[in-house]
Amino acid sequence: MSNENGSANRVPARNINVSCTDCSLNPICLPVAVNAKELDELDEIIKRSRPLKKGEHLFRASDPFASIYAVRSGTIKTYSVSEDGEEQVTGFYLPGEVLGVDGISTNLHSNSAKALETAAVCEIPFDKLEVLSAKIPTLQRHFFQLMSREIQADQQLIMLLSKKSAEERIASLLLSISTRHTKRGLSPSGFRLPMSRNDIGNFLGLAVETVSRVFTRLQKQGIIQVDGKEIEVLQMNELCHMANGVDDKARSA
Amino acid sequence: MYLVKDEQSSSSLWDEEFIRQHDVAGPRYTSYPTALQFHEEFTHQDYLDAAARSNQARKPLSLYVHLPFCKSLCYYCACNKVVTQNENKKRAYLDALIAEIRQKSKDFDAGRPVYQMHWGGGTPTYFNDAELTELWYEIGRNFHLVDKERGEYSIEIDPRTISGEQLGLLKGFGFNRISLGIQDFDQKVQEAINRVQTLEQIEELMAAARNYQFRSVNFDLIYGLPYQTVASVTKTIDKVIELSPDRISLFNYAHLPERFKSQGLLPEEALPPAEEKLHILCSASNQLVKAGYVYIGMDHFAKPEDELAIAQEKGELHRNFQGYTTYKDADLVGLGVSSISLIDNVYCQNTKSLTEYQTLMEQGGSPITCGVTLTADDEVRRAVIMSILCQNQLTPSQIEAQFKIDFSSYFASEISMLESYVAQGLLRRKDGSFEVTPQGRLVVRKICMAFDVYLPDHMKQGRRFSRVL
Repeated sequence: MSNENGSANRVPARNINVSCTDCSLNPICLPVAVNAKELDELDEIIKRSRPLKKGEHLFRASDPFASIYAVRSGTIKTYSVSEDGEEQVTGFYLPGEVLGVDGISTNLHSNSAKALETAAVCEIPFDKLEVLSAKIPTLQRHFFQLMSREIQADQQLIMLLSKKSAEERIASLLLSISTRHTKRGLSPSGFRLPMSRNDIGNFLGLAVETVSRVFTRLQKQGIIQVDGKEIEVLQMNELCHMANGVDDKARSA
Repeated sequence: MYLVKDEQSSSSLWDEEFIRQHDVAGPRYTSYPTALQFHEEFTHQDYLDAAARSNQARKPLSLYVHLPFCKSLCYYCACNKVVTQNENKKRAYLDALIAEIRQKSKDFDAGRPVYQMHWGGGTPTYFNDAELTELWYEIGRNFHLVDKERGEYSIEIDPRTISGEQLGLLKGFGFNRISLGIQDFDQKVQEAINRVQTLEQIEELMAAARNYQFRSVNFDLIYGLPYQTVASVTKTIDKVIELSPDRISLFNYAHLPERFKSQGLLPEEALPPAEEKLHILCSASNQLVKAGYVYIGMDHFAKPEDELAIAQEKGELHRNFQGYTTYKDADLVGLGVSSISLIDNVYCQNTKSLTEYQTLMEQGGSPITCGVTLTADDEVRRAVIMSILCQNQLTPSQIEAQFKIDFSSYFASEISMLESYVAQGLLRRKDGSFEVTPQGRLVVRKICMAFDVYLPDHMKQGRRFSRVL
């Protein structure tokens, strides 16, 4: 049943050479800052290589920071590796989202990024953007605007996740994905989780058993319907309350 | 908390009578020689030579970035600033600043790590998110910023210009310290200085700063403002203590309307008289000390577990234009209008005129318009003054070893002044060193002034307080 609602994974297989003009993500990406003629020029600096296969890297930690990337389809996971070799998932990036901003301070990427499923990505090289920005001042400003929003959103999520209970964390993540879907004009209530329970646990700092247990509990409470990776949110309000750490007693009191 | 307060109130460190007797008008020694000695014969080549020497020594770098714009005018302010609502002005300045970043970064070896950076103003957060991001990116691309854990990266914040969420952006860049301009919580005082902000705004920012895990939050407070009384400032400090910042700067407001025009807008009749100011200083300081803050020196307080207090305890505290710091021996590169650099044995300053700065940067010229090269004697005296200010002591044998001089003959006349300060209780002798007494620390610049050769003698003799306080 959730297949009808789970539209996220059915992002149409786009021609990898689709231009900014034809891209459905252009209202939330760079093109919003330029007019039709300038759009062609922007289009020319954007590199669209072949799609990444599942498990393939977009960049690795310590790679020089020369571009940022906009996800066009699929999902990318970023992670860092601790000194003792443990992988720590640092983020999930969905279509229309920008990643790679972790290199802004040091000019080296501090995280690695790899595809969780087949993913198409637009690469925006900084040096070329700079040249173009000399002609289109609005473009660079919008670019940094986009970057600042990404940095802020990342931090906000890290902060939220660091202080909450297991249920709050999982509810926060589901809510975050739902919100991001809505931003792209997709259904807020039905989506596919592109990441494994392991990755979710790692990202949220929870044991994988805890993740499964909380999913089961949320399902029993009738808040969500889970079918493998497909999620349907049945009670959005409950999910919000849970993410904000408001329990039933507190609300009825 | 209040019980403890009552218990300790009998043993107050801040002694009004002592300050009245000993405090003098004088420099705050963020540099020695002070900026008064900077001269215009200083050339761009002098700066380049210093940069080349500093590349040989390969010390780390410290960056100061000046962002001079404010949305509205705070009447007390004596900073180099421009009040504007014009977005284009900010943009033009940012372009000039980026040009300077690109130009100056070429003068320093690419690998030199930036362990310390401070963005000051003006109001840095008056620039919008995209502009701040662009600026951070330009600095990161042209200088070698280090991992967030190793760097000491701080920014001044006008609480009226920023939301809790925006603090996340600053944290995301890599800032790990923030400084909030509080000044005073009293509404009447706030209205008189044209800087109205609510307690709720500050509470929101503090909560966000804690959630985003900034390593340290500083409050700037000012005493000597219109309508302040001991009672009103006590209330402000109560709120401060409750909000629990890691560091506090308690600055003296010096009323000089002939030099800083906007100060003329303050209701002069409402300024607390000198005696009342002294009461306020002592009462506020004692209140902070009783609440557990450590007095670091020269207007600064910190919690005992703060890095600043720990560094002082270990004798590792230093001082530069950004105030006290735990990083020593960095070459300080100033960026932006009016900013000061300290490179090897050279101080130099960018033009203080915004128009001139932008014109110079547009033409690819050098923004440096004055400076001074330290003599060997300046360097010895600077080391002595900084040791007194930061470590609260002076160990002649250390200075002798560092500079290959004989302290007692080199500083024969200064030593006799030190002896008189020992007699007056500002200093005490300890194992061949001079140690600044707790009371002496309240008037520490008087001790430093003994070593300042550029001060006219009548100032050194210690004219009794009145002008500064």
